[in-house]
Amino acid sequence: MTRGVMRYIRLYGSFLRFSFSKAMEFRLDFYFRVVMDMVFYAVHLLFFTIIYDHTSMLGGWTLDQIYVFVCGAMLVDALHMTIFANNLWWLPIYINRGDLDYYLVRPVSSLFFLSVREFAANSFLNLIAASALVVWALGRHGGLDPVGILVYLLFLVAGTFIHYLVRITFIIPVFWLHSNRGLDEMAWTLHRLSERPHQIYPGPLRWILLSVLPLAFTVSYPAHVLFGGLTWQAVAHLLTVVAGLFLFVVWFWNLALKAYSSASS
Amino acid sequence: MSGKRGEEAMIEVEGLSKSFWVHQKAPGLMGSIRSLVRREKIEKRALQSISFRVQEGEVVGLVGANGAGKTTLVKILAGIVHPSDGDARVLGYRPWQRDDRLRRRMALIMGQKAQLWWDLPAADGFLLLREIYQVPKERFEESLERLVALLGVEDQLQVQVRRLSLGERMKMELIAALLHSPKVVYLDEPTIGLDLGAQRAIREFILAYQQTDRPAMLVTSHYMEDIERLCERILILRQGRLVYDGSRRQVTERFARYKLIKVLLRKPAEADDLAYVDTIGRRLAHSEDQIQLEVERNQVASVASALMARLSVVDLAIEEEPLGHIVERLQRAQQEEENEQMLFDVGMQSGIS
Repeated sequence: MTRGVMRYIRLYGSFLRFSFSKAMEFRLDFYFRVVMDMVFYAVHLLFFTIIYDHTSMLGGWTLDQIYVFVCGAMLVDALHMTIFANNLWWLPIYINRGDLDYYLVRPVSSLFFLSVREFAANSFLNLIAASALVVWALGRHGGLDPVGILVYLLFLVAGTFIHYLVRITFIIPVFWLHSNRGLDEMAWTLHRLSERPHQIYPGPLRWILLSVLPLAFTVSYPAHVLFGGLTWQAVAHLLTVVAGLFLFVVWFWNLALKAYSSASS
Repeated sequence: MSGKRGEEAMIEVEGLSKSFWVHQKAPGLMGSIRSLVRREKIEKRALQSISFRVQEGEVVGLVGANGAGKTTLVKILAGIVHPSDGDARVLGYRPWQRDDRLRRRMALIMGQKAQLWWDLPAADGFLLLREIYQVPKERFEESLERLVALLGVEDQLQVQVRRLSLGERMKMELIAALLHSPKVVYLDEPTIGLDLGAQRAIREFILAYQQTDRPAMLVTSHYMEDIERLCERILILRQGRLVYDGSRRQVTERFARYKLIKVLLRKPAEADDLAYVDTIGRRLAHSEDQIQLEVERNQVASVASALMARLSVVDLAIEEEPLGHIVERLQRAQQEEENEQMLFDVGMQSGIS
C-alpha cells in the first residue's frame, strides 16, 4: 500500500519535471496567462466590493470575510488550473479521437495518469499570486487563530480535489455521448454556484450543494468553518463527501472504459 | 486455459467476438428528425468467434482488408477494448482486466498513433516511460543503448520529436515501446507511410529484437513485404472471421490459383499484340517493353509458349502469385459469395429464380 503510494508520488515528480521543461518551450503563452488571470482576480474582487457598497452583510458575511472567501476561491481556481485543468480540457478530445489507447496499456492507473499528467507550469505564477491574495485577505480580517487558518488551507486543498471530481463527473459521459458541449456548459453554470457563499441559497439547493453535488465544499464551507469554528462533524462531513465522490468517480470511470470503442486508426 | 499443456502459449484466444452497435439514420433533415424519436441500431460484428494461440518467440502476421477486424483484435489483446464474448489470456491474464503485472510485460506500437510527447526530445519521453514501467536504472540504460545503436538514431535523441522525420519518429516509437523488455509485443501497421529504406530498417530491427528477446509478436500491416519478411505464420481475417491460420508458405500452396508471368520485350508491344495477350491471361501492368500477366496455374506452360511464339521476347520469368494478391482475392471471394446470395434472395422474392 505505502509502496504503491510512494510510487505514485515519484511518478508525479516525473510529471512535474516533464511539464516544467515543456513550459519553457512556450514563454509567450506563459506571460499571457499571468495577465489574463490577474484581470480575472480583479474582476472578482471588484464584484463583491461593489455589492458591499449597497449592503453591509450578505448571507451573514461581512466584507472582510467575503474577501477571505473570494481569495480562497482564487486559490482553489489557481490550484485547479495548475494541477488538473489542462488535463481535463484534453480529456474529451482524447476520448473522441480514440487517443486513450496508449494510456490504457501503461501499468499505471489511467485515471491518475490522464488527470494529472500535465502540470500547468504556466499557471505557477498565478498560484503564487493567489496565495499572496489569501495572505492579504487573512491579514486584513485579522484576529484569526493559526490552527484555524491551517485547517482552512487544508480544507481548500480538499475543495480543489472536490472541484476536480465534480468536473470529471461531467466529462466522463462523453464516452457515450461523444460530445461535451452541453455538459461542459452545465458544469460551468453549476460551478458559478460555488463562487458564492452557500448560505445565500434556499434550503433544498443548499442541501444538494452540501451532499450529492458538493460544490459548497470547494470554497464556501472552508470559510464557514474558519469563521464559525471547527467541529468534528465538519471534518467527518468533508471526509465523507470526498471519499464518496472519489469512489463514485473511480467506479464511473471504469464503467466508461468498458464502453470505450477506441475510434479506429 | 492454463499452462498445463506442456508448451505454454503466451497468447491464447478462445471464441473471441466483438460487436459494435452502430446507429443508422436516413439521409437528410427528415431522417435526422425521425432519428430523434426512433433510432435504428444495427449490430456490426467486428470479430466472430476467433481462436488461436501464439508461442514464445513467434512472430505472427495478421492479415486482412480494411475493416476485417485486425486492429480490433489487437486492441482487445492489448486490453484497450472489451470483447463481447469469448475469452483470451495473455501471459495468463485477461488483458481487459488491465493487471499491472501484464501491462508491465506488454507493448503496443501503432503506426498511426504517436505515444511520444511531441514537444520534447525523445530522450525525455524515454525517462518518463522508465518511471512508468519502473525499469531499474542500469537495465534501462543498457537497453536504451542497445536499441538506439540497432536503429542508428544516436544523433536524434535530443531533438524535439515533432522535428523528426516520420521514419525517425517511428524508430523512436519502437524504442519507447521496447525499453521495458516486453514479452508480448503488438505492432499495428508499424511501417505505414514510411519510405522503403525506413521500412527495411524497421523490419530488420524487429527481426533482430525477435532473435534476442524472443517475445510473442503479433504484426498487422498493409505492406505484404512486412509480413513476408517478418512472419513465418499468418492469420487471415475476413470480415471478422479467421479464415486461415498456418504457415505463410502454405497459403500460396493452398490458395494460389494463378502465377505471374513477366515478359521483357525487344521492342514495345503493338496494340494488336496487347489485345492478343488479353485473350490468354489477365494483364496486370505493362510499360514500354514489359508485360505482367496473371495466368491460371495449369495454363502457365501453354501461355508462356504462346507468348514466345507471338512476341519478340528477351526474357520471361514465372513467379508465384504474391501473398497480397491471394489475400485480396480471398477478401473479394467473400464479397462475391455475398453478392450471389443477395441476387439469389432477390430472385426468390420476385419469383424469377
